[in-house]
Amino acid sequence: MTIMQIIFLITASVTLFAALMVVSTRKMMHAAMWLILVLFGVTITFALLETRFFAIVQLVIYIGAIAILIIFAVMLTRRSMNADVPQVNRNWWLVMVSSLALFVGLVTVMSVWEGFFVTARTAPPGGENLVQLGTALVDPNGFVLPFEVASLVLLAAMVGAIYVAAERKEK
Amino acid sequence: MNATLVIEWVVKSLVIILVLTGGFAYTTLYERKVLARMQVRRGPNRAGPLGILQPVADGIKLIFKEELTPHNADKFIFTVAPVITVVPALVITAVVPWGREISLFGRTFTLYLSNVNVAVLYILSVTSISVYGITLAGWSSNNKYATLGGVRATAQMISYELALGCAYIGPILIVGSMSLVDIVEAQAGVWFIFLQPVAFLVYFLASLAEVNRAPFDMPEAEQELTAGYHTEYSGMKFALFFMAEYIKMIAVAMIGVSLFLGGYLGPGIDRFPILGPVYLFIKVAVWLFVIIWVRATLPRIRYDRLMALGWKVMFPLALLSVMITALVLLFVES
Amino acid sequence: MTQQVLAKQVQEVFARFSDGVVEDQRVGYQGYIVAPEHLLDFARALRDECGYDYLTTVTGVDYLADGKMEVVYHAFKTLGGPALEFKVQTNRQNPIVPSLALIYPSAELQEREIWDLFGIRFEGHPDLRRILLWEGFYGHPLRKDWKEPYFEEVAKPFKSRFPDGKVYRAEDKHPLKDNIDFPEGFDPAKWEAEGDAALYKALTNIPGADEPGIKTEQIILNFGPQHPSTHGVFRMAVLLDGETIVNLKHVLGYLHRNHEKIGERNTYIQNMPFTDRLDYITSMSNNFGYAVAVEKLMGIQPPERAEYLRVMMAEFTRVISHLMSIGFLLNDLGAFFTPMMYALEEREMILDVFEAVSGSRMMCNYFRFGGVAHDVPDYIFDKIKGLVFERLPRRVDEIDAYLTKNEIIRARCEGVGVLTPEQAIALGVSGPLLRGSGVPYDIRRAEPYSIYDRLDFDVVFTEHGDVYDRYLVRLEEIRQSIRILQQVVKQMPEGPIQIGKSTYQVKVPPGEAYGRVEAPKGELGFYLVSDGKPNPYRYHVRSPSFVNLGALAPMSIGSKVADAVVNLGSIDIVLGEVDR
Repeated sequence: MTIMQIIFLITASVTLFAALMVVSTRKMMHAAMWLILVLFGVTITFALLETRFFAIVQLVIYIGAIAILIIFAVMLTRRSMNADVPQVNRNWWLVMVSSLALFVGLVTVMSVWEGFFVTARTAPPGGENLVQLGTALVDPNGFVLPFEVASLVLLAAMVGAIYVAAERKEK
Repeated sequence: MNATLVIEWVVKSLVIILVLTGGFAYTTLYERKVLARMQVRRGPNRAGPLGILQPVADGIKLIFKEELTPHNADKFIFTVAPVITVVPALVITAVVPWGREISLFGRTFTLYLSNVNVAVLYILSVTSISVYGITLAGWSSNNKYATLGGVRATAQMISYELALGCAYIGPILIVGSMSLVDIVEAQAGVWFIFLQPVAFLVYFLASLAEVNRAPFDMPEAEQELTAGYHTEYSGMKFALFFMAEYIKMIAVAMIGVSLFLGGYLGPGIDRFPILGPVYLFIKVAVWLFVIIWVRATLPRIRYDRLMALGWKVMFPLALLSVMITALVLLFVES
Repeated sequence: MTQQVLAKQVQEVFARFSDGVVEDQRVGYQGYIVAPEHLLDFARALRDECGYDYLTTVTGVDYLADGKMEVVYHAFKTLGGPALEFKVQTNRQNPIVPSLALIYPSAELQEREIWDLFGIRFEGHPDLRRILLWEGFYGHPLRKDWKEPYFEEVAKPFKSRFPDGKVYRAEDKHPLKDNIDFPEGFDPAKWEAEGDAALYKALTNIPGADEPGIKTEQIILNFGPQHPSTHGVFRMAVLLDGETIVNLKHVLGYLHRNHEKIGERNTYIQNMPFTDRLDYITSMSNNFGYAVAVEKLMGIQPPERAEYLRVMMAEFTRVISHLMSIGFLLNDLGAFFTPMMYALEEREMILDVFEAVSGSRMMCNYFRFGGVAHDVPDYIFDKIKGLVFERLPRRVDEIDAYLTKNEIIRARCEGVGVLTPEQAIALGVSGPLLRGSGVPYDIRRAEPYSIYDRLDFDVVFTEHGDVYDRYLVRLEEIRQSIRILQQVVKQMPEGPIQIGKSTYQVKVPPGEAYGRVEAPKGELGFYLVSDGKPNPYRYHVRSPSFVNLGALAPMSIGSKVADAVVNLGSIDIVLGEVDR
């Protein structure tokens, strides 16, 4: 076992444990903190795969932006300080069944997906080629369509957010 | 990966941390002296000649001060928050080059810790983490002033990070690399402040907001929120926030100098590479002076105006600057 | 012309209320006594028909010997002229008077003060709570038969004394043993402070709060009593929706020492240094107001040179106060002390003058009845000339150049804390606050005292009524004060500075008098009742800061938290005067 494998195992187990804590801890703020740990674990996994770019993007976007927004929302929530809020509501069994189904489904699909068994290509020396990645995103033969669709979705979301948040004149 | 290389890294890291913490101590003195001169008074002049031992005295005082934890605070987060604030501030300058290669003890050293090709992204990611400390400090104190201060800090920093990120893009586009070493070396002819004046302005203002300095020192707006997110902090925990603020000040100055003011470059650098850190130091000192000058001169902007300025002026301006840079580069290339 | 028409209308109003309004016949007293049942109609008629729209002073007097309590009102015309004084009398056992708060909103705070200190209930008052003392205080201290309540709390530093330790009570040590009173059934072990329930109830009681719509959570935020921007121990309880102020109540009295009660125990001359402690920045103006009131009662006039010296000191005080006010306003805006330091530098120069004439820099105690204490030494006169002809005009221009056109200052001050002229008059505010709202009312012109009718100066006023305008008014008033100072220095006559010889004990004939001056912060009035004894029977201070604070809530509701702080700074309060 190499050092890398040991680090990976530690990271993976910490990430999974943190993920469990996200749904089981009682204080909302603590759940958010565990979530950040999960995201950080993913970052380390990216780094272990020698994709510095993705690791840092993961850090900037998920930890730096999305998680902070979640914390922001929690801070504005009433009673975020006390832990005596019930953890489940009466539909808990429904959620359990559906998440079990999802888990089983995922395992089944992944066990037959052949891409899962292909050995990964080794990264070129000196890290990944960012220029190539950038060109691929806006190349008509590459990923320009998904890229543009994603931007359209984001634009729509932004317009929606502004509409929801805008102050409307009272009558 | 040989042992000497590891030792070299450790030594360099130690030097960076020591310089930053020492720099923090003396930045406080520098600020107090400059402010005093601008306000018709003398400033600290009792501890040591010209008050140069004042930071030491302050440090001793803060270490021996009683630390209070509010009864209803979230104790763990309350304790961890200052650490979360200070660590990003310390590691942020790891990618900033101090100079070229120098020879010492028969070895050739590079005067930077690491030269990664995603240096700018690294800076962005570390700054985005540093918001956490302040936010969590505000929340965990369980105090209305602190919570409001924390909320303000979060909103302000997220808003200004965008403009800050866009300000980085100009130099990156020109150089075609995200490594700060490459960016500095590309300024041997002309500093980027002349090629990217808008980006420089946006960077300067957004960085003030990012490190919570006047006139954007909203999160700790004394007049409204007493001390904002660190209202409940005392003793060494408070000192850590204070330290983080000043180290971040030095860090944004170093990064800004590297991006726009030619970093360690200066006359005679080719013959005496050892001059690199000196030039960097001088430029950072000037940058800090401007920050202090702004603090002594300007009143604070109101919070909603601050957000409006960030989203409606700075961010579009930065985007426009990026677009024009890209178009000009395209035009020049073709 | 206008004056005559109004006078005729006043007569008509008096004729209409012939049965309920009689002239005060007591020796040395002026004004009219209004029957309580006619008070509301009479006040409304005064305001709407006679032009007495500016009620500045409301206070009470306890006539223990007659078994009566009296509420005294001083109403003015904003066009200028002397006061119309009217009084309401009520019995001491169950004193109830109709509240004028809805007709003259300026009465609201002052009626609360009277309720607090005299225990006179005001029927129809919107928010009758104690104001200077805390909820749960026993008794009403300005009543003449009041005795100091004695609370032995467990929390007191000497824990051993109570309940098991050796009981050692203050009243046992008191030489007279008749000055102390226990509340009935008071058990110190069970006593609990009443807390802020009443305050929060008043704060959250907003009309229209039950309307349907999306409810966001409102939080109550307490600014103070220990807070960097409240200029002392002052507290604002703010109801916030996000960062917007929904309601605001200010809480006073943290610096209360019952100045008036102590003043009634002191002799007349002993009160002179005591007035220094009211607004400790403008002690000379406070002296001036008190001297004017007592001289009115005594019927004396100071000699010419003394008048000039008085005006000189009062105007220097105005320069100091306005400079500091501008400096503090900038501090409240978040400027890091720099403007403050520049203002303080000038203040020090002026304080040198004060020190030379009175021996003290802040607590001057310079005025005497019928003159001033000391003459100005020659070397100081040269310094004064240098100040008023060269240094001060230059420094004011400098401050003007640095601050007035600053973008951030304009962005934060313009349109913030707007007070319309109607609101300003109704709330009884005075000084730069009133003139900033476009009402050119300056007591130095409206009802001239001392030698102001002979001096050449303009009444500064601006039209928008926002924070920026108040700043402009203050800045321009400094210039006008310098103008007055230049005239005073040029015209300064020779002669005595005191009529007769100075005495420790002045003879004050029985009667009442209300003397007011234009202090830097507004109308500073002293209402005195003398019964011929060496000490005043009633000594009331109508302090400008206290009444001006009534404008804080109307200015701030609906604006942002940061603006409330700026509004407070623009009102320019000094807690020594507010809490008295």
